[in-house]
Amino acid sequence: MSTGSNERVSRKRYDRELRARAEAENLLEKKSRELFMANQQLNEYSATLEAAVLDRTVELSNALEKAEAASTTRSRFVATMSHEIRTPLGGLLGMIELLTNDETNPSKLELLKYAHTSGEALNRIVNDVLDFSKMDAGVFVFEEEHVDIRALSDSIMALTRSNPKGAGRTILTKIDRSVPPLFLGDATRIHQVISNLVSNALRYSIEGPVILRAKAMPAPNGVLLRVEVEDFGIGIESDQIDNLFKDFSQISTSLTAAAQGTGLGLAICKRIVEGCGGVIGVESTPQSGSTFWFELPVEIPTDQPMAQSEPITNKDLPHACLDGRRVLLAEDNIINQKLLLTYLRRMNIKVDLAENGRVAIEKFAPGKYDLILMDVAMPEVDGLDATRQINERWNAQDIPPILVLTAHVMDAIQDKAASVGIKTVLCKPIPYEDLKSAIEVEIANQQTNVAHASAITKDVDDAASLCSLMSDDTAQQLLETFSITDLTNLVLRYVQDAESILDKMATLYDEEEREYLRAQAHSLKGSSLSLGFTQIAALAFEIEQSSTDIEATKMAEIVKVIADNLTTISACATR
Amino acid sequence: MKGTVFVELIKMAEEAFGEDVVDDMLDKTDLENDGAFTTVGNYPCADLFKITKAFSYTSGLSEEELERRFGAWMLDHFGENYPHFFTGKPDSFAILEAINGEIQVEVRKLYPDAELPEFEITKKSAKHFEMTYSSQRPIAEFCHGLIEACVKRFGQTADIQRASALPPDGSTTFQIVIR
Repeated sequence: MSTGSNERVSRKRYDRELRARAEAENLLEKKSRELFMANQQLNEYSATLEAAVLDRTVELSNALEKAEAASTTRSRFVATMSHEIRTPLGGLLGMIELLTNDETNPSKLELLKYAHTSGEALNRIVNDVLDFSKMDAGVFVFEEEHVDIRALSDSIMALTRSNPKGAGRTILTKIDRSVPPLFLGDATRIHQVISNLVSNALRYSIEGPVILRAKAMPAPNGVLLRVEVEDFGIGIESDQIDNLFKDFSQISTSLTAAAQGTGLGLAICKRIVEGCGGVIGVESTPQSGSTFWFELPVEIPTDQPMAQSEPITNKDLPHACLDGRRVLLAEDNIINQKLLLTYLRRMNIKVDLAENGRVAIEKFAPGKYDLILMDVAMPEVDGLDATRQINERWNAQDIPPILVLTAHVMDAIQDKAASVGIKTVLCKPIPYEDLKSAIEVEIANQQTNVAHASAITKDVDDAASLCSLMSDDTAQQLLETFSITDLTNLVLRYVQDAESILDKMATLYDEEEREYLRAQAHSLKGSSLSLGFTQIAALAFEIEQSSTDIEATKMAEIVKVIADNLTTISACATR
Repeated sequence: MKGTVFVELIKMAEEAFGEDVVDDMLDKTDLENDGAFTTVGNYPCADLFKITKAFSYTSGLSEEELERRFGAWMLDHFGENYPHFFTGKPDSFAILEAINGEIQVEVRKLYPDAELPEFEITKKSAKHFEMTYSSQRPIAEFCHGLIEACVKRFGQTADIQRASALPPDGSTTFQIVIR
C-alpha cells in the first residue's frame, strides 16, 4: 500500500482502512455469533434426536416384549392343546385297536376300520398343525443323526401300502448307487417330507405308478441329495405352482373334495427342507403328472460303523422275549391305564400299576421289575421327578430301563427326560406294535449290557468260521465295532432269542394267530439282518409276507431250515 | 456483490494510477461506505459501476476497456489465490468447464446466499467452445476479459467473438476458437 518514495500513508487512507477494519470486525463478530447460534441449534437438534431415538427404542423393545410374550403364550397354548387333544385321541385309537383285535363280526370290523382310519387322519392333522405351530414359534429343532435312506424308503413304502390310499397302487423305489449308505441328517424329518410327497402323489393321482427316486451329486463337505416323487395324476396348472408351498393352500379340484387335509403339508415340507438348508420344488404338466423334488446338502459321517454309536432303531436289534416280564406302569389317566394294561397283558407281561409318580416310587424296589413305563404329566409327583427320585435312591445297576410316555411333543420334554437319564421318550398315542417293540429293545439292551458287564470271555480261535456264516459286509462292519468275544456273545444271545421266537412262531401258527406270527417273523428278520444272517432273514421275511396264507408243510419246512441254520451258528460260536 | 470484487478493483486502480489518484477519486465519488471495502462484506453493485465510471474519467480509457482489463485482473487473482482449481486442468476449456460444476459448488458452500452468474458451455469441437453467460447484473466485458486471460494463462491464443445485439434475456454468448 505504498507509492514510490513516500512511505507514509495519508490520514484519509488510514481512516478509510480503519473503517474497513471496523466493518470487517463487526461482520466477523456477527458471523461468529451466527455460527455459535447454529451450533447451539444443532446441539439441541441432536439432543432431541437422541431423546427421540431413546423413546422409539423403548417403544420398540416394549412392542418386542409384548410380541414375544404373545408368541410364548401361543406356543404354550399349542403345547397344552396338543396334549389335551392327543390324550383322548390316543384313548380312542387304542380302544378301537383293542375292539378290532377282539371283534370277529366282519361288518363291525369294517366300521371299526373306518373309525380307525378317521382317527389316524385326525391324528395326522393334529400333528401337522402342531409341527406348523412349532415352526412358527421357532421351537422346531432339527436333529443330526445317521440316515439310511434305503431303510427309510422301505419303511415309507411299507406304511404307504398299509394305508387305504396306497393299497393296490404300484409304488416304485429307485435309490441310485450314488446315494451313500449313511449320511448325516434328521431321519424323522426326511421321512416326514418323503411320506408327505408320496401321500400327495397318491392323493392327486388315481392310477399309474408313483415313483420315488433318490440320487446324490458331489458337493462341498459331502453330497447333494436329490429326492424325487413322480406321479401320473392330474398335474398342476403353472399359475397355481407359486401358491403350492404357501401356508394353508390347496389345489382345488374335484379330487380335493376327496383329498381333504389341512393344506399345511407342503408348507411344512418346505419349511423342513429349507430348515435343513435345502430347496424344494415341483415340475408339473397338467393332466399328465407332477414331479415333486427336494435337494439337501448332506455330510457323510467319517466313521460308518453300524449300531452302538448312534440311536439304534428297533429293527436293528435282537428283540427280547417278553413272556413273564414284570413291568411297573405309572399312569394316572384311567383310559390310558386301561389301554396300557390291556396292551401289556396281551404281551404276556405282568403289570403293576401305580396311579401316580409317588406311588411308583413307593412300589419300586430293586429286582422287582424288568422295566418301568412312566407317564410324564401325573398328579402329586410327575414322571420325570419320580425318575429322578428313583435314580437318587438306588444304585444305577439296580434300576431297570425306564421308558417315558408322553402326549407332549415339545422337544423340551426330550431334553428334560435326557437330564434325568432317560434316553427313550415314546409319544402317545402309541400303537401296540410300537410299544411292544420299544419294550423288547429296552430289555434286550439291558441284557446285552449285563452280558457285556459280566464279560464272559470265550477263547475263540477261529473267528473266520463264525464270520463266514454272516454276509461279508456285515461281518466286516461288526468286527470293526465288536471284539470277537463280544460278537460271539451277541451271536449266542441272538441264537437263544431266535430259537425262542421260532418256538413261538410254531405255536402261533397252530393257534392261527397270524398277526402275531407276522410280527414274530418280522422281529426275527430284523435281528438276523443286523447280524448278517441273510438266509434266516430271507426265510423269516417269507413267513412275514405270507403269514395269512402260508401252508402248514411250507411253514414246517421253513422252520426246520431256520432251526438247522441256528444249530450251525450255535455250534460255530461255541466251538 | 462480494467485497473481494471491490477490493481487487481498487487494487488494480492503485497499481495503475497510484494511491493518491485513487484516494481523490474515492473522495469524489458518492459511495455508500466512502470506499472502505473489505473482502468479507457485501456491497451494492451500483457502487462498482460508479467506481468504473470514475476511473474511466480519470484515465481516459473507456468503461468497457476497464471492465475487460478488470476481468483479466480477476482471473490472475483467482490463479494466485485459488491455485488448486487450476492444477490438473490441461487447458483453458477445462477451467471454463469447471466453473459451473466445481468452482461455483465450492463458492456456495462458503456463501449460500451468493447470487452467482450462470455459464452454459457447449463444446462444438476440440477447438471450438460456445459459452453463454447470464447474470442478474451482466458485465459482458468483464467476462470477455476473464476468458481472454484464461486462454492466455495456458499459453494459448484464441479468437473470441460475441454477438453484437444482446438477446432479450440479457445473456451473452461467446464463441471461443483456439488458434
